[in-house]
Amino acid sequence: MNQGLQGLEISMFYLTLVAYFLSMVLYWVWLGVKSNILGKFATALTIIGFAGNTVVLVARTVIAQRLPLSNGYEFILTFCWGILAVYLFAEFRYKLRALGSFVMPIPFLLLVFIVMKMGPDERVAQAIPPALKSQWLTFHVVTAMLSYGAFAISFGLGLMYLLKTRQGVTNQKDGLISRFPAAEILDDLAYKVIGFALPLLTLVIITGAIWADYAWGTYWSWDPKETWSLITWIIYTGYVHARLMYGWKGKRAAWMAVLGFVAVIFTFFGVNYLLPGLHSYA
Amino acid sequence: MNENPKSWTDKLWYLFSSMKMGLALLGATALTSGIGTILPQTELEPDRAEAVSRIWQVLGFTHVYSTAWFRLLLGLLCVNLLVCSMQRFSGTYNRTFKPRPPQNGNDIPQKLRQEIKGSTENLRLKTEKILRDRGFRLIGEESGESWSFVAQKHHLGYWSAFIVHIAFVILISGAILGMFFGFKGTMMAAAGTTTALKNINLSKGTVTQDFGVKVNSAEDRFLPNGERDNWYTNLSIIENGRETASGTLSVNHPFTYKGVTFYQASFDHGVHLTADVTGQTMPIYLRNQGRPFRFPNTDLYLFIGGMMGSPQQPVILFQIYKAGNSQPIQSGQLSAGESTNVQGQYKVTMEGYAGFTGLQVKKDPGVTVVWLGSGLLLLGLMLSFYWRPLLVSGILEQEGRLTLGMASGKIIGQTETEFGKLLSEIEGTNSKERAGLTTDLELKERVL
Ligand code: HEM
Repeated sequence: MNQGLQGLEISMFYLTLVAYFLSMVLYWVWLGVKSNILGKFATALTIIGFAGNTVVLVARTVIAQRLPLSNGYEFILTFCWGILAVYLFAEFRYKLRALGSFVMPIPFLLLVFIVMKMGPDERVAQAIPPALKSQWLTFHVVTAMLSYGAFAISFGLGLMYLLKTRQGVTNQKDGLISRFPAAEILDDLAYKVIGFALPLLTLVIITGAIWADYAWGTYWSWDPKETWSLITWIIYTGYVHARLMYGWKGKRAAWMAVLGFVAVIFTFFGVNYLLPGLHSYA
Repeated sequence: MNENPKSWTDKLWYLFSSMKMGLALLGATALTSGIGTILPQTELEPDRAEAVSRIWQVLGFTHVYSTAWFRLLLGLLCVNLLVCSMQRFSGTYNRTFKPRPPQNGNDIPQKLRQEIKGSTENLRLKTEKILRDRGFRLIGEESGESWSFVAQKHHLGYWSAFIVHIAFVILISGAILGMFFGFKGTMMAAAGTTTALKNINLSKGTVTQDFGVKVNSAEDRFLPNGERDNWYTNLSIIENGRETASGTLSVNHPFTYKGVTFYQASFDHGVHLTADVTGQTMPIYLRNQGRPFRFPNTDLYLFIGGMMGSPQQPVILFQIYKAGNSQPIQSGQLSAGESTNVQGQYKVTMEGYAGFTGLQVKKDPGVTVVWLGSGLLLLGLMLSFYWRPLLVSGILEQEGRLTLGMASGKIIGQTETEFGKLLSEIEGTNSKERAGLTTDLELKERVL
C-alpha cells in the first residue's frame, strides 16, 4: 500500500507545483486582460493546487503514521497549505482576486525550492527523533502554518497597496492597477489579517517554548530560530503600535507589512540555510 | 536638584511614559538580538567567537544575551511598560467602569457622529431599545431639557493594552526569578549508580537540595518497525539513605521532584565492571569509547574500545594503557562474568552492559510565572484584536434632535460600517412610523 501512496504523493506534489505555476501566470494575465473567464480559471487552478497540496499532506500522514510536521520538505508543504488556506478564504470573503498575482508566487517559489534544493532522501518520510514526538510540537507547527500563511497575505496586500498608490497611479482609470480594490480597503484588510496573524504568532512562540521546556528543560535559549521569531514578532508589534498611536496607515504601514514578511521568510529559511546556527530540527 | 526636585524625576517619568521610547527599546532589542544570531556566540561556538574582531567581543556581541547591557535593555523596556501602564491605569479604569453620559457636544465622539431628527419620545425609545438589543450596556442621564446616554459593549476590551503590557513584564519577571533562584546542569550516569545532586555539572545557579539520584535503568528502546522509540530512564530519589520517590522519564516526558526536574537529554552505551584488589571490590562504569578509568594508586588506565555482543550476551573489547604510552600495554575481550588480570595488580570482572543516561537537571521557580505571563499576553492580544470595545454616546435635545457618535479604540474602518447599520436601524424604524417626516431624517452631517 505504501508504494502506491508514495506514488500518489509524488504525482500530487508535481500536480500542485504545476497548478500553482499556472494559476500564478493566469492571475497575472487576468490582471492585464480583464477577462472574467481567465480569472475564474485562475481561481479554479488555485483550488486544484490546494487540493493537491492537501492530498500530499494526507498521503504523507498516512505513510509516516504521524502528522507531516518534521522535516524541511514537510514544513514547506505545510507552509504552502497555510498560505493557500488563508488566501482562498481572503479571495472568497473579500472578492480579492487581484491578490492572487502577489500571493501565488510565494507557494510556487517555495515548491521550486524543494525541487531544486532537496534531494530525494530529504523528501522521504524519515524516522523522527524522540524529541519531536510531542503534542506541543504539533500545535506549534499548525499555528505557525496559519500565522505565516496570513503574514504572506498581508505581504501581498502591502505590495498591492504600494503599487496602487504609486505617484500618479492613484487615479488611473485603466491598466492593471484599476483591478485592485481601493487603497483604504487594502490597508484595512492588511491590518485585519495581521490582527489575525499576530496573536497566532504569539501562540507559535509560546507553544514552541512549552515544547522546548518539556524536551530540554529550557523554554528559551536564544537560538537563531527563536530569536528571529522574536524579531518578527517585534516588527509586527511595531506595526500595530505605529498604527494605533501615530495613525501609521497607508504607505508606511504597507512597507512594514512587507518588511515583516521578509522577517518571516528569514525565520523560516534564512536561519536554516544562511546562518551558522544549530536549531537542529528545521 | 534642590531648586526643583520634581523636574528631573518628572522628565524621567515623561521619557518612560512615551511610546516612542518603548518602540525605540523594542527596536534596539530586535536589532541587538539579531546581531547575536549572525555573530558566533561563545556558548555555542567558542572557537569561532574567539575569531571575530576584538571590538565585538569587548562590546559583548559574542555573548549578547547574557551581557549586562542586553539585560539593562530588557529592564528598561519593563520600566517603560510599567510607567505606561500606571499612567494610563485610571483613565482605563474610568472608561471601563465609570462611563459618563456626555455633558455637551464635545463629549460625543467626533469622528463618527451624526444628527438625527424625529420625535423626542420615539428617538429615545428606539435608541434605548436598539442599543440594548445589540448588547450594549446603556447608562442614561436626564439633565434639564435633554437626555444623554452612553452605551458600551465589550468594555473589558479597554484593558487589552494594559494586560498585554503587564503580561510582558510578568514574563520577564519569571525569567529573572529563574535566573536568581534556579539552577541548571547536566549529569551522565550509568544504570546502577547514584549521583548526589550537588555533584552534577552545573552551568547556572547553585544547588541547595541535598539528595541523591539513583539510576535504576537506562534503556534505548526501539519500535517493532526498527525506529527509535525513545530513551527511558528509571530513577529513584534517595534522601537520607531512603528512597523517597521514583519514576521513569523519557524525552518529552520529564520527571520532577521537589521542584527539580530531570529531562532525558542523551543516551550512551557502556559497561559495568568490577575491580578487585586485595579483597576489596569496586564497581566501574565506563562508556563505550568514553573516558578511560584510572586504577587507584597506579598509572594504569582501562579503556573500552568496543561493545560487540548483544544485551543478552555482552562482549567487550578492553585496553589497558600506561601513562605516557600511546599504545595499549594489554588488551583483550571479555564476556559477562569473565575476569582478567591487569598487570598483576588488579582483577577486573565484566558484569554486563550498562546504559548511560544523559540528563538535564533544572530547577526554575520562574517557569510558572513565565507561563502566566504568556497566557496573559495571549489574552491581551486576543482582547485587543477580537474584543474591541464599542462606545456609543449621544444627546437628545427637546426639539427632537439626537446627536450621536461612536468610537472604538483607534480603528475606524469597521466601526464606520457598524455605525452606519446602527443609524439606519434607528432611522429606519423611525421613518416607517413617521413616514411623513422623512425629509427631516435626511439632515445628516457625517464628519469623518
Ligand atoms: C513588549 C511588547 C509590547 C506589546 C506586545 C504591546 C502590545 C500592545 C497592543 C496589542 C496594543 C493595542 C491595544 C489596543 O489599543 O487595543 C498596544 C497599545 C499600546 N501600547 Fe503597547 N505593547 C508593547 C510595548 C509597549 C511599550 C514599550 C510601550 C511604551 C510605553 C507601549 C505603549 C502602548 C500604548 C500607549 C498603546 C496604546 C493603547 C491604546 O491606544 O489604547 N507598548 N500595545
